[in-house]
Amino acid sequence: MEGIVLALFLCLILALITRYLSVPAIPFYILGGIVLGKAGLGLVTSDEISVFFSEMGLIFLLFFMGLGLKPERILANRSAVVTSGVIDLNVNMILGFVAAYLLGFSIIESIIVACAFYISSTAMAITSIIENRKLMLRESETVIWLMVFEDLILIIFLTLISAGNQNLIVFVAKILGVLAVLYVLALYGKEFLISILDRDDELPILFTFAAVLTTASFSMYLGIPETMMVIALGVAFATTDPDAFEQHARPFKDVFLIVFFVFFGVTIDFSGGMNWFVIMIICLLAIVSKLLSGVLTGIAIHGSALSGLEIWGNTISRGEFSIAIAVLYGSPLVGTTIAAMVIVTSIIGSFTAKYSSSIRRGIINFGRKKSPHYRIHAGR
Amino acid sequence: MSAMSLRSLNLPGVGTKYEFETDKGDTVAIFFTKTGTIQMYTLQKGCKTPSAAEMTPVEARRLGNILTGAIIEADQESVEIAFSALADLRVTIHSFLIPKSITGRTIEDLQIRTKTGATVIAVCRHDRNIVNPAPTFVFENGDAALVIGESDQIKRFEREIMVD
Repeated sequence: MEGIVLALFLCLILALITRYLSVPAIPFYILGGIVLGKAGLGLVTSDEISVFFSEMGLIFLLFFMGLGLKPERILANRSAVVTSGVIDLNVNMILGFVAAYLLGFSIIESIIVACAFYISSTAMAITSIIENRKLMLRESETVIWLMVFEDLILIIFLTLISAGNQNLIVFVAKILGVLAVLYVLALYGKEFLISILDRDDELPILFTFAAVLTTASFSMYLGIPETMMVIALGVAFATTDPDAFEQHARPFKDVFLIVFFVFFGVTIDFSGGMNWFVIMIICLLAIVSKLLSGVLTGIAIHGSALSGLEIWGNTISRGEFSIAIAVLYGSPLVGTTIAAMVIVTSIIGSFTAKYSSSIRRGIINFGRKKSPHYRIHAGR
Repeated sequence: MSAMSLRSLNLPGVGTKYEFETDKGDTVAIFFTKTGTIQMYTLQKGCKTPSAAEMTPVEARRLGNILTGAIIEADQESVEIAFSALADLRVTIHSFLIPKSITGRTIEDLQIRTKTGATVIAVCRHDRNIVNPAPTFVFENGDAALVIGESDQIKRFEREIMVD
């Protein structure tokens, strides 16, 4: 118990500092965990409570993702969303997989690494767009939709990988069945739900918490992982009053997710072997491959490679979802690699997001300076 | 369709965006973000980089009041609302700090409606709001009154009732 208090206290300090410097907090929570945990000072070890809290963090993160996922919105914006999404998926997934496989990971491990490598941090991308006042840029809109597309791919990935030994068709049918039941419940119970959410006593928050936990606990009986259950709940609840649910679930998500990040750091164990070379290559490629997909998307959607630079700047950071994948399916070695990738890309990503406009201007000016020289030479 | 066509858009995870282009070709975009802040962007015609301002809801409301043409003073402010669908009906709502001269008197007794045509619709007292006060309502020291009427009626209220 003292461990979790110490960890939370450290997170509080880190949150204050990172807010003040306006840099993302997630990499520092993980670093904090590493320092406190097995790989560092050994002051904190994970226990039953921290495991439970971490699990809550993951569940609420995915519930939140489900709430924000409105399939009809994606259909309304289909062409642009799908184009950018498919470019992003292919470039990063393939590059990530090939790199991981060549660096000595097994096929299954390489798939896990590739998925963590592919998925950018929605939280960091959106925060950086808002904080750096880039909402009006057309590239920002592309990035926002890209994040939604990535969430969809993550769900498909989670479905495929968590099916395990079960028959995939039966498994998918079960998930769709659960989704249908929840949808019907949300549809017929809509007025009841809204009447509960409108109250100003403790009921809305209690209801939200209980609904998420109850749904998660059903996973045991159905053979569907908790993750899929809560995403389905989020998607179904999104048809009622998603903003109210977000508001009531946010305190749980915020606190539990921080525990999740810091204890992910705590459980990282370097004794399982650490290959700095592998980690360095993966981190470097994680940045380069998003540049490639960003530039291709920029050309395809905005007709400009420089637009791609802006997209790149905001999508470098890997974060919450990469860690979720590492925690759910990664071996210790995969976990360490993904942790390093998240830390490096999110710190670099916060700078590229801040300075992407300057980088862009720099390139334009550089181009202008160069061209007169060229003309002088040509004139001779 | 008028030249000023307003576009609103829901951005997943971000909030709501409102955007319109002015007659002269400048663009104004407002974002109500989920973090509770409001960002306003203006993009001059022919320019590529917009400039932005971030506001709290209170600041945004103040800006809104300024833009509707209302006068804003340090502690008293007014809002003019125009209903273009109702023959361009314009009503002004103005806040006044009650002066010493009328503390202890009632709305009825001051003959506010008869003398000025304006109506007191709310009074703020010690951070509590009394909406639609009765004619027998007694003003106290430190009250702030919210008065509604046409701008002439508001001016008359200021002249006749707010005298020291």
